[in-house]
Amino acid sequence: MRHFLRRGALAAALATSAMTGMPVLAQQGELVVAQQIDAYSMDPAKHSAFPTANILFQIYDALLTQNENGEIVGALATSWSNPDDLTWRFKLREDVTFHNGEPFNAQAVKYTFDRALDPDFKAPYYSRISAIKGVEIVDEYTVDFKTEKPFPTMLLTLYEASFPALIVPPAYAAEEDGAKIAATPVGTGPYTFVEWLKDERVVLKANPDYWGGAPAIDTVIFRPIKETRTRIAELKSGGVSIAADIPPEDVPALESGDTKVAIVPSDFLYFFMLDTTRETPLQDKRVRQAINHAIDVDAIQEALLGGLGQRIALTLPTNAFGYDESWEPYAYDPEKAKELLTEAGYPDGFSIKMMSRKGRFLKDAEIVQAAAGFLQQVGINAEVEFLEPGVWGQVSEKKGREGIVFPGWSGRDPNLVWFPILKSGLYQSYFSNTELDALLDAGAATLDPEERLDIYGKAAAIIKEEAPHVPLIQPPLIYALDANLEWTPRGDGMIDLRHAEFAD
Amino acid sequence: MLAFLVIRICYAAVVVFGVSLAVFFLIRIGGDPTTLFLPPEASAEDIARFRHVMGFDRPLPVQYLDFLHRALQGDFGHSLRYDQPAMALVLERAPATLALSGLALAMSLVIAVPLAILAAAYRGTVVDRISLLISLIGQSFPAFWLAIMLILLFSETWGILPPSGRGGFEHLIMPSIVLATYSTAIITRLLRSSMIEALQSDYVRTARGKGVSEPRIILKHALRNAAIPTITVIGLQVGALLGGAVITEEVFAYPGVGRLAIQAIANRDFTVVQAFVLVMAVTIVSINLLVDLSYAALDPRLRGK
Repeated sequence: MRHFLRRGALAAALATSAMTGMPVLAQQGELVVAQQIDAYSMDPAKHSAFPTANILFQIYDALLTQNENGEIVGALATSWSNPDDLTWRFKLREDVTFHNGEPFNAQAVKYTFDRALDPDFKAPYYSRISAIKGVEIVDEYTVDFKTEKPFPTMLLTLYEASFPALIVPPAYAAEEDGAKIAATPVGTGPYTFVEWLKDERVVLKANPDYWGGAPAIDTVIFRPIKETRTRIAELKSGGVSIAADIPPEDVPALESGDTKVAIVPSDFLYFFMLDTTRETPLQDKRVRQAINHAIDVDAIQEALLGGLGQRIALTLPTNAFGYDESWEPYAYDPEKAKELLTEAGYPDGFSIKMMSRKGRFLKDAEIVQAAAGFLQQVGINAEVEFLEPGVWGQVSEKKGREGIVFPGWSGRDPNLVWFPILKSGLYQSYFSNTELDALLDAGAATLDPEERLDIYGKAAAIIKEEAPHVPLIQPPLIYALDANLEWTPRGDGMIDLRHAEFAD
Repeated sequence: MLAFLVIRICYAAVVVFGVSLAVFFLIRIGGDPTTLFLPPEASAEDIARFRHVMGFDRPLPVQYLDFLHRALQGDFGHSLRYDQPAMALVLERAPATLALSGLALAMSLVIAVPLAILAAAYRGTVVDRISLLISLIGQSFPAFWLAIMLILLFSETWGILPPSGRGGFEHLIMPSIVLATYSTAIITRLLRSSMIEALQSDYVRTARGKGVSEPRIILKHALRNAAIPTITVIGLQVGALLGGAVITEEVFAYPGVGRLAIQAIANRDFTVVQAFVLVMAVTIVSINLLVDLSYAALDPRLRGK
């Protein structure tokens, strides 16, 4: 029943093409994606939420994108270079127009970033693009991004997961003071906007003239369904074809029959941050190492995440620049942990705060509690405290995170991870080491990949030895799919439907 | 009667004002939305700058006076998340919630009123037992659990009803059943006991003595008297239904105001929460006003006063 309509549509498409003798354009019916929440805005620079970004990414393109292998490659830009350390030069595609006919060119790129960087525009993701000092038009299809300091992670700032990097049409985006594009978006992407029924559905239609090739599926619908059981029920009864955010325990049941599961380790990082700014035993390196030895991360991953996700050796995603496969995490060794604690002068352990949010990330509270259990076994009494996300933000802002903290972070370059959370004195950092500071500064100040690899290799050695964190896992992103759907999830959490298609 | 009405309306205005004051300060206790809205890597300067642009760094009383000043001119502020007028966001979702709550209330009444009358008329019989069982079950099922069970049965197992969303009448069936369950139970119980009490009263005995037929006694004499406490409870149930709609809408992914409110609270989207609470307060206060007025219609003794 559930595939009847789709087959019908396909048959009709085949019949039509047979009659007219046109090449078969595989126009497959309808794909419904269920995410937890609806879009907030159709303006890519006006929101800070992934579910919104997933919808907008079908409508808009960025200069760069991520390919199936997780590499950053050209999208609206074809090539790039660094004429000097403070300039990133991009050559643009010359065959692209927006859905409303506006031409895509250097002017559109400049307008997009000028708009989002204007303080009065109040872009929530301003921080992600704020290193860009200005965009200069070199010619019709060449732009220069200027920075004040060398900006090695520019490419990650210009692809779709950096939300305001999606390119908007200048004339249209200025209409009605921006209200028009926020309600009825126009981009260069594979799908054009049809309608948005608030909290109910966003309907998109394939753009047959897409510069990257017309998508196979004709209609895409995004529906917000917050409750996990309802998302699964919709998938099972054929109402949706992709259900996002599935808990690991539901995976076995969804792997048979009309459904299947697609899993990828996310770029997100689960780790414990050990606060060294306060007078606690955590200021002793041996204690921090002991905590690393005390927690059986593999057991936690197996029991709570069904073995899914990716174990990390240091606080960096395995697909990040500079991640070295030869890095090893501290081994689970409670005896060694006890020895180190004794050496540090805590043979009977100690009590320490443990802070986290609950229900913010997949299995966060369970993981924190399991870790507290392991710590108990070596004599460390972790007093777990869960904060409501808003309160967490307040506490963090006053630098009030204490003890063993479960903060969560993401970023595919050491400069996006280690710099903000390990450099002395920064607002999110609870650690200080002058040698490391110098390396992090050096890594941020050069564009040369070889030099950066060398710098971050040295930094990694210090981080391993000093153990300011307990690296845990890149948690899995789990999607349940219609068994006929061919689609690959991405670790950065973005849903890309450009190459999705039904098998029959 | 007019004086009564005027006083009631004044009370209502005071209540709405009090609610707006309370919600304004309560929602701000847990801090402002800046850190929830900006990306995690936002620097301390970025946060401070954003907070200043949005005016969250002003003293609370100043922010409140600003809010009040604008609200009195019909401007309830802009949603931070949606970047749209907060009141419009609430009002555009209100019809969906009204449809759901209205259907649930109608369902409750259609089941509860006849059931309670029959139970009272045939007290101690099987009908009465059934009514008690229904009200017991209805009061003890958690809405959340019931909703999931219905989805499992009617959507996943039998495939007769859509699990979620909005569209035709079929989308309203499960949510309104969930929403109606508790109200049905409460109304049945209360009307039944009021009816039993009325049926034992002197005027009913007198009526019986006069030879008035039993159906007439039940429907005219007893029901009319039993209706007054019941209508009070129905009025209160409307509030409960609107509140219950929050959970029901979430589970059934139904695009009403409840879902908007939940999300707005989690995001600290102050203006939306304020607009939502204000609309709710006005609705509930108005219904209570109607309930008060209905007493006068039902009870001739109150009419002269």
